[in-house]
Amino acid sequence: MRTIWIITQRELQTFFDSLIAYILLVAFLGFSGFFTWLYGSDVFFVGQASLQSFFSIAYWTLFFFIPALTMRMLAEEKRAGTIELLLTKAVTDRQLVIGKFLACLLLIVIALLFTLPYYFTINSLGEVDHGAIWCGYLGLILMSAVYISIGVFTSSTTNNQIVAFLSALFIGLFFHIIFDVLADSFTGTMGEVFSTLSLSTHYESLTRGVIDTKDLIYFFSLIILGIVLSEVSLSKRNLV
Amino acid sequence: MRRKTSLYISVALIVGILIVANLLSSDYFLRLDFTEDQRYTLSQATEDILDELAEPVTVTAYFSEDLPPDIARTKSDFRDMLVEYANTSDNMVVYEFVNPNDDPEVEQEAMQNGISPVLVNVRDQDEISQKRAFLGAVIQMGEEQEVIPFVQPGAAMEYTLSTNIKKISAVDKPSIGILQGHGEPSINTLPQVANELFILYSPEELTLTDSTDIPTKFKTIAVLAPTDSIPDSHLAQLDAFLTRGGNILLAFDRVEGDLQNAYGRVINTGLESWLADKGVQVEENFVVDASCGAVTVQQQQGPFTMNTQVSFPYLPIVSNFAEHPVTAGLEAVIMPFVSSLAYTGSQDTSNTVKFTPLATSSEQSGTVPAPAYFDINKQWTENDFPLETLPLAAALEGTIEGNTEAKMVVIADGGFATQGGGQGGDNVNLLVNGIDWLSDDTGLIELRTKGVTSRPLEQVEDATKSLIKYANFLVPILLVVGYGVVRFQMKRSIRQKRMQESYA
Repeated sequence: MRTIWIITQRELQTFFDSLIAYILLVAFLGFSGFFTWLYGSDVFFVGQASLQSFFSIAYWTLFFFIPALTMRMLAEEKRAGTIELLLTKAVTDRQLVIGKFLACLLLIVIALLFTLPYYFTINSLGEVDHGAIWCGYLGLILMSAVYISIGVFTSSTTNNQIVAFLSALFIGLFFHIIFDVLADSFTGTMGEVFSTLSLSTHYESLTRGVIDTKDLIYFFSLIILGIVLSEVSLSKRNLV
Repeated sequence: MRRKTSLYISVALIVGILIVANLLSSDYFLRLDFTEDQRYTLSQATEDILDELAEPVTVTAYFSEDLPPDIARTKSDFRDMLVEYANTSDNMVVYEFVNPNDDPEVEQEAMQNGISPVLVNVRDQDEISQKRAFLGAVIQMGEEQEVIPFVQPGAAMEYTLSTNIKKISAVDKPSIGILQGHGEPSINTLPQVANELFILYSPEELTLTDSTDIPTKFKTIAVLAPTDSIPDSHLAQLDAFLTRGGNILLAFDRVEGDLQNAYGRVINTGLESWLADKGVQVEENFVVDASCGAVTVQQQQGPFTMNTQVSFPYLPIVSNFAEHPVTAGLEAVIMPFVSSLAYTGSQDTSNTVKFTPLATSSEQSGTVPAPAYFDINKQWTENDFPLETLPLAAALEGTIEGNTEAKMVVIADGGFATQGGGQGGDNVNLLVNGIDWLSDDTGLIELRTKGVTSRPLEQVEDATKSLIKYANFLVPILLVVGYGVVRFQMKRSIRQKRMQESYA
């Protein structure tokens, strides 16, 4: 546990010492703030005391930013050869993967913390359904965790950052929208299977303000799968 | 060193466990409802209804199979809800799902029960075809039967199911008298109101005669929008009714507006002086409100006639409600040509009658004395709305007449239930909540207004609005940039210090 935490801290330090964290945070807050407050179906246009406009825009901005964040995680270490150095120390593959995963997740949580002023503003302007908003944030965090685990996995398969970025985006696209579209054009069991696979179904169910074990199990399954597969693809180098 | 096969086996195991967990989760799940109004949890009213069931209730749900997922979700939601009903009622509610598309006989049966299919687009092997989908249910208890022709998704589902169960399970429904004979609309002309009332009561039309008293079976009488004058003998009967502890809901017009001729006048029914004796003065005026409905006006623009919507302050949209069972959960009620009312009785604690305003106009409102001509094209300014929170509806409790406790609800507008019903569901809710409160049966009020659909933002000035917008947009970004700058400065100073040390 301690090892994981040290890796997480190290990675987070790297984010904030380089420009990555700042570019990501400013771009995320810029996009989300722009569409939540200034343009399109913004808060005042909708006229309702809810963060729905923020949640629907963050659903997309996070989807694009996360692969950019995760693409260098393992690919860069592989390219530079530092991964060998790391893993000859007393660090297991699993600890490394989880540590990197947590660092990305913490950065996303920090990004979401910066949007809390939105919540306080709307709370002062009208009656807010607090439960629905906290569940919305939970939904965003779980969704991010899924895409981070996918991103860490694709980053572990290659030593080229661009390849890692594009393949994370490609896999993510299935969960983000393609399964949802497929579900609409099938009926019966196939439709149900695609609808269950679609991340937006579970995300929407959470943002209503209801925490359902069905949705939690779905999110955690994908997270665990991503982490396990990353570990496997890392440990492949030692296979006989 | 690990072996390839053992690695693949463990991965396959993990994947298998995850799939099984997901499959099981669709059957065994737990839900925590964090919404403020507990929208997705069965309400107390439903639990009470289910507790009182004396005989088993059978729900036969006619739902088609193989529907697109968004419609199929309604089916699974309905099934989940029925499971909860069955659990809460100790299996007094039994249900079965039937697919009418399988068997023409079942389809016939569903249609005979009053469930009509809807057409949905289904995509099947690169072709879009239309399919007849059944989404209804029949609820049976003994001989009684109720039909839900179409199951609405969302919070409305619980209301439909619970009220239909209540409708067939309630025994000895109290009678509600709907006064007739002075130009009041009959029950048949108020289908929405009648539909709601039939759940808990048996509403009956009541015509007063000079020779007979009001039958004792009535505990509550509703007087809705009379237009003719009410004879003194009838008013005396209402007094006698109050004296023996009966309750009255009174929704009547002091003024009436005629949009065709753009003219509004006073109507005298005799109720106004009868009510004034009880201390409630309904003024001879029109309440105008900045928060109002619109009327369609034909405007001549060059050679064209255009239909435009114009705000018309004589149609206030009331959203200021007291904390009271009658107005619990209401959002907005349209009250066309409403008057203001005032209490002239003593407000002391020694007074045996308690007066509670239930609904008031908004912070920007005013009054126009009747009779009046309406100028539809008038440009209304803030100066036209100098008053605020004028009472428009009120509740009276106590010894209103004689020495017996009685209750009254007075609404200074008769048209809100008869005409405004189509414009907003809450119009009917206000009326039926009033009757529920008078009849001491407030259980359904909670259910009726469950699921707040609107949470409006406060009105703020344009300048404040811009400030809020840009502050929310810029402050988080500036915080991030500021932190970055400070961090880099600190790093640099540490580095410089080190360099100096090494030179020294």
